[in-house]
Amino acid sequence: METVKSIGIDAGSTTLKIVGVNEEGKILFTIVEDADPKVEEQTESILNKLKENYDIESSKIVATGYGSNLIKADKKITEITCHAKGIYEHFKSGGTAVDIGGQDNKVILISKGGKVIDFIMNDKCASGTGRFLENTAWRLKIPTEKMAELALNSDGEVKISSTCAVFAESEVISHLSRGEKLEHVIKGLHRAMVKRITSMIYAIGFNPPLMLSGGVAKNKAVVKMLEEELGEKPLIPENPQIMGAFGAALLGLSK
Amino acid sequence: MLHIKIPTRREVIEKAKAEGKKIAAVYPIHYPRELFRAFNIQPIEVWGPPKTDTKKANAHLQSYICSVVQSGLAFYLEGGINVADIIVVPHSCDSLQGLGSIYKDFIKPKQELITIYLPREKNRENVEFLSKELKRIYKQLAEFTHFEPDREKLLEEIKKEEEIDVLVAKFYKSRENLPLSSREFYTILRAREYLPVELFKNILNYALLHSSSGKLKKTGIVISGLLPEPMEILDVIDEMDGFVALDDMACCMRRVYGEGSADDPFERMAERIVNSTPDPTKGSSVDERADFLKSLIDISGAKGVVFYNVKFCEPEYFYHPLLKDKLNESGIKSIVIETDINEPISQQTITRIKAFIEMLKEESRWA
Repeated sequence: METVKSIGIDAGSTTLKIVGVNEEGKILFTIVEDADPKVEEQTESILNKLKENYDIESSKIVATGYGSNLIKADKKITEITCHAKGIYEHFKSGGTAVDIGGQDNKVILISKGGKVIDFIMNDKCASGTGRFLENTAWRLKIPTEKMAELALNSDGEVKISSTCAVFAESEVISHLSRGEKLEHVIKGLHRAMVKRITSMIYAIGFNPPLMLSGGVAKNKAVVKMLEEELGEKPLIPENPQIMGAFGAALLGLSK
Repeated sequence: MLHIKIPTRREVIEKAKAEGKKIAAVYPIHYPRELFRAFNIQPIEVWGPPKTDTKKANAHLQSYICSVVQSGLAFYLEGGINVADIIVVPHSCDSLQGLGSIYKDFIKPKQELITIYLPREKNRENVEFLSKELKRIYKQLAEFTHFEPDREKLLEEIKKEEEIDVLVAKFYKSRENLPLSSREFYTILRAREYLPVELFKNILNYALLHSSSGKLKKTGIVISGLLPEPMEILDVIDEMDGFVALDDMACCMRRVYGEGSADDPFERMAERIVNSTPDPTKGSSVDERADFLKSLIDISGAKGVVFYNVKFCEPEYFYHPLLKDKLNESGIKSIVIETDINEPISQQTITRIKAFIEMLKEESRWA
């Protein structure tokens, strides 16, 4: 049975991510689940199941994310520090880390040595977050994962002027009722979201490379448009959702 | 932790009324407390108050007016200022100037309304201008109270305020040696907004008695803005093993005035206000403000600056990008946090403050 030295738990607004690492920081397991409202019980249940395959008795537990206050952990560290650590260790590079999560975005400037130089987060608003796309997908009865495909294959684009998730939804409906093609509207919606993220990146000062994390980094249309807007091909980890939990686990190794 | 009983605004008002004093409800920011005290008037400042239901004020004000002014008007409309005999509105910003006009032209309150026109730059002409303005207010107060304090009485009250300013500066200087949380420290400091001068002096002296040689081994922060509301920010800073080492806040440090030099009481009061620390509502230059913030960092050993800005406070907003750049050039980290004094602090805000302190600690570890 392998010994897990540190476990990072990222209790986000939409998903719960758990990563276990050994003494060298090598990932032993990753778990991603939809976040339960009772995240503390959900976490406990996952940890109990892990005991069947891993020795986690002496594991350091580091929690991050909005639900971290509810989780029993040895340390609680903010998402900014955890994402920066995870992304830096994954790419072994400083630059601009952009985490696009379910309900918030973070842009973090990381130094060559891996320090957080500066950061910016969206305010009490879902503009530019995963929820921005999810809302409309739900309203149009389109699976979220299909949204990127529609946008990528669109031969046109409608301008969505609102960056507010609620107003954008109304704007989408009004465009469709005027006869605009669905894929043009969906592409416009992606563009509005990307423009919001880009403005956050420029607000803090873009320093390449651009490194993405968070669930929305899996959306190929968002990735392509970010490249178009910034003129820089983003680096994306194989599993962008776990970067915060990975960083938390790594921070559990440091004294 | 010190156990200091600080009377509430209500208790102070009731006692002052029982003693036959008049009450002045004073809106932010600068005004000469000593002038009102000389007329046996107790100034009670109205910084909102926080967590006010602003629905009645919303009907009269644009939605982009800051929550301090929104609450200030709502508080009046709800009867919160009924107890006051005088309402004082310094023209600190466009919104407060607008509030002054609303009172004068539309509300026409039963209370005596006093507006104060405040000059901007530090220069001789502005001292003369404000001196004349204070003489105008003196006359208005004399007519209202049927009392004319003489030069000696005015100077006596000015000296009292000057002494308090020295004591407040000492209180700030002793910050690291005081067994007080950031919230306790600022609760004491902000009691000046409504306490009689002697009582405030006693509280400060009592707190200073508990100053020790041991310093707080925490990460110091300089906080800049109008006021530390919601006060939960102070708890979050302390929770992260940080503390507010010094501030550049309108309700606190920006109103710790220096001693005046003139023998004429009006000129002396004017000098004190005109020559106060750099202030966005007084049009101080970006360089002046940046240098002042840097000096606060140098004096206190603080590691970064939190701009705790009330949403829609335009005078503050204009400076942020420029100040952030200037501080960055000197290797000083800063963050802008937007607040509304009527709303609880959001989880996003808590995360930002915590992440900022984590960043500062990491910076110190590498240094």
